[in-house]
Amino acid sequence: MYKEDLKMFGYQNNVLRINLSDKTYKTEPLNMDWAEKYIGAKGLGIRYMYDELKPGIDPLSEENKLMLMTGPLTGTPVPCSGKLAIISKSPATGTILDCSIGGHAALKVKYAGYDAIMFEGKLDQPGYVMIQDDKIEFCDGAELWGKGAHETETLLVEKYGHDNSYMTIGPAGENLVPMSCINSDYYRQAGRGGIGAVMGSKNIKALVINGTGGVKAHDIVETTKKIIEIANTDCGDEENEFIFTDGTAAFLEACQDGGILPNKNFSDATDDNWVKYNSEKMQANRFGKKGCGSCGLGCGNFTKIGDAICEGPEYESMAVAGPNCGIDDLEAIVKFNQICDDMGLDTISAGDTICYAMEMTEKGIHDFGIKFGDKVKYLEYLELMGRKEGIGAELAMGVKPLAAKYGGEEFAMHVKGLEYPQYEPRGSWATALAYAVSDRGACHMRAYPPNEEVFAASCDPYTAEGKGQLVFDLAVYNAVKFSMVLCDFWPLSIERMAELMSLVTGKNFTEEKMNEVAVNVINIARAFNQREGFNRTNDTVPKRIVTEALQSGPAAGQNMTQADFESMLDQYYAVLGWSNEGIMPDSLIATL
Amino acid sequence: MNIIVQPKGFLKKHIEGATEVMMKVDAGTTAETLVKSMGIDIEDKRFGFVAINGHRVMIDTVLKEGDSLKIYPRISGG
Repeated sequence: MYKEDLKMFGYQNNVLRINLSDKTYKTEPLNMDWAEKYIGAKGLGIRYMYDELKPGIDPLSEENKLMLMTGPLTGTPVPCSGKLAIISKSPATGTILDCSIGGHAALKVKYAGYDAIMFEGKLDQPGYVMIQDDKIEFCDGAELWGKGAHETETLLVEKYGHDNSYMTIGPAGENLVPMSCINSDYYRQAGRGGIGAVMGSKNIKALVINGTGGVKAHDIVETTKKIIEIANTDCGDEENEFIFTDGTAAFLEACQDGGILPNKNFSDATDDNWVKYNSEKMQANRFGKKGCGSCGLGCGNFTKIGDAICEGPEYESMAVAGPNCGIDDLEAIVKFNQICDDMGLDTISAGDTICYAMEMTEKGIHDFGIKFGDKVKYLEYLELMGRKEGIGAELAMGVKPLAAKYGGEEFAMHVKGLEYPQYEPRGSWATALAYAVSDRGACHMRAYPPNEEVFAASCDPYTAEGKGQLVFDLAVYNAVKFSMVLCDFWPLSIERMAELMSLVTGKNFTEEKMNEVAVNVINIARAFNQREGFNRTNDTVPKRIVTEALQSGPAAGQNMTQADFESMLDQYYAVLGWSNEGIMPDSLIATL
Repeated sequence: MNIIVQPKGFLKKHIEGATEVMMKVDAGTTAETLVKSMGIDIEDKRFGFVAINGHRVMIDTVLKEGDSLKIYPRISGG
């Protein structure tokens, strides 16, 4: 299964490279020198793409590649190690794009004997790819094309059974919508940056993956003893109970009280009606729980109201489909989530686009036929967006192209073309910086400042001072975590991550070493984007954030100015040794 | 003064798992004093923040009659 001559245990030392154009495949050893510098998943995947993607390629052309990448802990019993990274060049932003998806696909890839699977070229007809250990099959997908992601997975399960893991796209991915996602286990998504459109551009409707091998860890007895100890103490600590009982829905109340819950396209940051769709209301309509492979927390909650059903809604989906669209009906929010999942749309970008359209209509700038609170039309529009029909064909472009065409730039909430996550930066100033410098456009998973500025009392949320260092420190943490790859829910320390790496790989990883890896990961992503022409002029904040004060909540009147934002950018670049223009010097690039 | 206290998450154990409890404190009492009086360690990395009447505040904020005090543990994720 795995190639011998393992320099580090945990890896398979094996990459599957699939050429879709001529339907051939081969395996090759994993680049273990890179693995030492970037670990796996996010970091290692980006390193491969930096090496293999020519600058300036069209993300939806055959020249782009799609990579599934695991980490050294994937497939082991280490808690929360069941996530899979998917890496490509983003059709939404033109930047590097790495997504992280839960479920069980990561384990299947690893058990099939691969650290990574690289898809190149394009199928000549819509199809799906079967990966069953070392057997690869290219199958006709005509009967699946055009179907929703849920029906697609159901049809494949009926045909091939429950032992496989399935990854699918909906109509949005087929139609190359730049906010389309990849689904797995029905309700888990690699959501952001149009990763589903990349899969669609290659005519891949689905992946069917199964593996029957294992993962070779260093000193399995001691490793297992330690994992059990950690699972029962660190991961199983009482502080993490809310993850099982509430999941991300717990953030709603904290964001409301913290003044960072976006309302009506980020016009304000609290919602008086938040109790109508909060965690308690979700729990009252819960009918099931779920965890990913190797999960130690079990955050997944199935919610059903009437005929609306989804896993979630997660905080992001709840906030964008709720208050940000002026809606407080939990059934509508659940339905919004369900349709997005089936169409294969990213809930964040789809929701932000709709609430932008609502504000444009209300202000009379352009009539998109929908206003805040219209829960009938906002559900109708989702299917139109996924299928690129009627007004949906326009809305599917996303906020940045729409604002360029119709106006409303001051409240077009995006960075580099990726729509804003649902943590309002005026109540957490470092969040504006985190969104601006994130490697894939506005993203809360590259650095997560609300954790320090709002959900703890460790620093003042309403100042630019020290925020460059704060965002760097948080980015270091997430760069390591998403390169190992571990679930973002487990708040383990970098020291603990180093300990787990050492146990599984048999190589000594220290906290210092992990910090070095993180800087490598941050820099290789920046180097990719820099090569595509990105610089300080692209690390932006929407005008609304630096020109309009919030009206309610604890952050009311705490005005962040453009100068404050620029100061944070200066600080961040300085910490990383980049120029004032956000450019990494050649001497640094040479170390990557 | 009467204060409605609502610990969140695992901090509910400090009021025996209840959702909220009414506590009597002296005038001039800060949120910090009340939280500590419940046996909650605010230096613990697992401690989060406090909110009075639905607004996050600094923990040295002085309480007023009838205030509702939420005590959050640290939450993380995204």
